[in-house]
Amino acid sequence: MAMDRTEPGVSGTATGRSLGLLVCLNCRATVRNVKAPHMRCPRCDARLRERKPHSLAVTGALLVAAAVLYVPANVLPVMDTRTFFDTESDTIMSGVLVLLHSGDWPIALLVFIASIVVPLLKILALGVLWVSAWRRSPRHRQQRSELYRLVEFIGRWSMLDIYAVSLLATLVQIQSFASIIVGWGAWAFGAVVVLTLIAARTFDERLLWDPPQ
Amino acid sequence: MRRPDRTPIDTAIAIAVCALVLLCLTNAYPLVTMHVNGHSRETTLAGAALGLYAQGYVTLAALVFLTTMLAPFVQVTGLLYVLIPLRSNRHARGQNALVHVLTRIRSWSFIEVFMLGALVALVRLSNFSNIVPRVALWTCALLMIVLAALTSITSTEQLWRWIEQSRA
Repeated sequence: MAMDRTEPGVSGTATGRSLGLLVCLNCRATVRNVKAPHMRCPRCDARLRERKPHSLAVTGALLVAAAVLYVPANVLPVMDTRTFFDTESDTIMSGVLVLLHSGDWPIALLVFIASIVVPLLKILALGVLWVSAWRRSPRHRQQRSELYRLVEFIGRWSMLDIYAVSLLATLVQIQSFASIIVGWGAWAFGAVVVLTLIAARTFDERLLWDPPQ
Repeated sequence: MRRPDRTPIDTAIAIAVCALVLLCLTNAYPLVTMHVNGHSRETTLAGAALGLYAQGYVTLAALVFLTTMLAPFVQVTGLLYVLIPLRSNRHARGQNALVHVLTRIRSWSFIEVFMLGALVALVRLSNFSNIVPRVALWTCALLMIVLAALTSITSTEQLWRWIEQSRA
């Protein structure tokens, strides 16, 4: 298509909007854009929108909330292990270290990437995308679109630690011998994951391709 | 532009039936049993959400319930409900609304992430206890693969293309 042939970054790149085409975000049908205020998709009947309404405001708010909750998610314990002798609190990072010391370094690496790297990367990447959409920066559009797709793809993997903690808390309830209590860090962490997932979905990728004002 | 997918509806239905069977088995049987100091405890898939609920984390429990049980179940049964009439060019009641719900809720189906999370938990437990994998752990691993296949051959785009073809 014409869009693919145009060099990225060159001003005057043909976009769907400039060609009068509109993609239905629901069923991916391409529709010729009649400038009606309440147009519906001829295939799936979803409301067609040139851009998601208030995309930047909503995404920005969710992103700030996620960034704020990222602090308690990493500082507060995700679980307390109570045994006869003592109580041990684990944050996400100390959980990774426990795995590392017990010699399971591939698992430790997996948890480190899913729980520490991915959430941080998501918040930073969405921040970068938000700023470039807000400034309508015409540079590196292709790479930024790829970054957005990466964020969408990896987002779900941060749930890994929540599942691990919830199974540990269910299994380790052995009368007075040992029990695992879920901490508020897990709650904050879950909130970060959900907020960033929703933020990625409310962000309108097409804003990255809007021409500078 | 992407090459049009020529997968017939029948293939999608077959895979969805397979996923439904695995889903029932995964929910019905225990995942693992843990033996430690003469005590033993086992858990099912629902145990993950219930454990959080029992400790007072209602929202977190709801999130785990949505992503490991409700979303996969709606994804598979919803697809069957829409696709079975569609293969004889009939439309299920409430088809369009259901497809909208279906394609939204399935982006919250995190079975594959749960599977890896379960492995992490088991590795941590195996340091001080004896862990015995049970039926649901194996069916969950299979379900992970089958659901990935199902999601890729019934992309939102493909579903609407089938519906469009049946109207013609």
